[in-house]
Amino acid sequence: MELIIDAIITGILTGGVYALMASGLTLVFGVMEIINIAQGAFVILGAYLSYALAQHFHIDLFLGLLITMPVMFVLGVLIQVLFIRPLKRDRTMLSILVTFAVALIIEGVLTILFTANIVTLKAPYITQSFRIGNFYLSYIYVYGFLLSVVLLAGLYLLLYRTKFGQSVRASMLNRTAAQLIGIDVERVSALTFGIGVALTAAGGMAFGATTAFNPGSSYDLISRLLTIIVLGGMGSLSGALIASLGMLIIENVTAVVWSPTWSSTVFFVLLVVILILRPQGLLGKLEGRKQ
Amino acid sequence: MLTLHQVVAGYNDSEVLKGVDLEVAKGSITCIVGPNGAGKSTLLHTISGLLHPWSGDIFFEGRNIAHLNPRQILEAGIVQVPQNHSLFTEMTVRENVRLGGYLVKDASKVNRTLAEVEELFPIVRERANDKAGNLSGGQQRLVEFARSLMLNPKLILLDEPSMGLDPRTLKQVFDKVAVLHESGRTILLVEQNVRTGLSASTHGVVMESGKVRLTGTNTEIQHHPEIGRLYLGGTLAEA
Repeated sequence: MELIIDAIITGILTGGVYALMASGLTLVFGVMEIINIAQGAFVILGAYLSYALAQHFHIDLFLGLLITMPVMFVLGVLIQVLFIRPLKRDRTMLSILVTFAVALIIEGVLTILFTANIVTLKAPYITQSFRIGNFYLSYIYVYGFLLSVVLLAGLYLLLYRTKFGQSVRASMLNRTAAQLIGIDVERVSALTFGIGVALTAAGGMAFGATTAFNPGSSYDLISRLLTIIVLGGMGSLSGALIASLGMLIIENVTAVVWSPTWSSTVFFVLLVVILILRPQGLLGKLEGRKQ
Repeated sequence: MLTLHQVVAGYNDSEVLKGVDLEVAKGSITCIVGPNGAGKSTLLHTISGLLHPWSGDIFFEGRNIAHLNPRQILEAGIVQVPQNHSLFTEMTVRENVRLGGYLVKDASKVNRTLAEVEELFPIVRERANDKAGNLSGGQQRLVEFARSLMLNPKLILLDEPSMGLDPRTLKQVFDKVAVLHESGRTILLVEQNVRTGLSASTHGVVMESGKVRLTGTNTEIQHHPEIGRLYLGGTLAEA
């Protein structure tokens, strides 16, 4: 029983980090109806940026986010303006190809700069843990989870307590109507893409601090992130949060009570069952967005 | 007030408006009628900046607005209520109406305008905290009208306000069109429901195949024999 509780706690802690990584993906889909296949590559890029700052400048992983998040924000805005905005027709389908190309470019550049060797982020708190009752918790898992909570709460406040957030939500709900009340939807789209990519800097650091990675690690990540936003409901932030926690808890518990070999399989079987019963995902809407 | 001169516009490679000339007089309610595919809604999209004309000019109060974006056109004093329901369904009625004043930076001014709009459209106050998506089609139309007033526009473009409404609700909606007009706004509306649209208007415009075929007062349009035969199934006077 203790093993199961431990698996659930670990699932919640890592699920929070996945929610952070998936939040940008689902937000971008909500506003622009594009599927950013490069989200996994952005996460790995974020991890490498933290790695480079720690290795070369001895900057703490969390402090380094003050540099990497703004850098990734600007990169995201530039990519949206240069590669996504020009797509005028079949935006959803073409965005898959365009962002896949972006992912390949990122992977190529990272391989040239850092080689394909596996690396790990290093900091004292990555290897240390503390005890609560009968459970040992790793500091990095707790810190990563708290970072996710803080950033997701900040994202929530941005969306629901600011005028910019109103314009994002309006663009998500009805793009044409948003334009007709004076919202610059293209600007909102660029900033939203930037925010989505900036969040991957934090997600990447938390991911890299708990998992060894190389430039090719983005493929497994993007498949998991896409699964999360499909299960949660495309465009739903709350759905992404629930799906992330659900995925990691189910996988961890399955690994403990049955076998790690079956952990992903059990989750995907459940995913199929849920999507048969509720094709729009947990918190998604069947009706498409009005244009 | 609004003058279109040889406006050509369309979507992708498809030309929909093929040289539209149109005059909208200040203080009028001008109703555009015509068969499906005539280009009525495309015309409103072109005026409101959702589409840019391929050629031609659009003058509003003497200024060429042909290549302004929707935001600049709003600032010039033209607001459009589109054909499909355009409320943000997951937001409350009050949030929706407040968003109509998105371009206004002064929050106190937004509040003052909101209070005035609530006087004209009591439903905004009565259903303030309900999600807009929970209102009926007719109620949503009224809230859309209310939202259109938040920038104190000079010209309101209404795209098929009667669409999907039952006769009783239709009357309520057109009563409110009159309220918009009485509040000093010029109105340009597109209607499939020809009788209702022309009856509520001061002027009529008939479009066909991307061109304006006939303009005149609503009485002239209603009694025009050819138009009545072609579009109205007999003149309105006979109906």
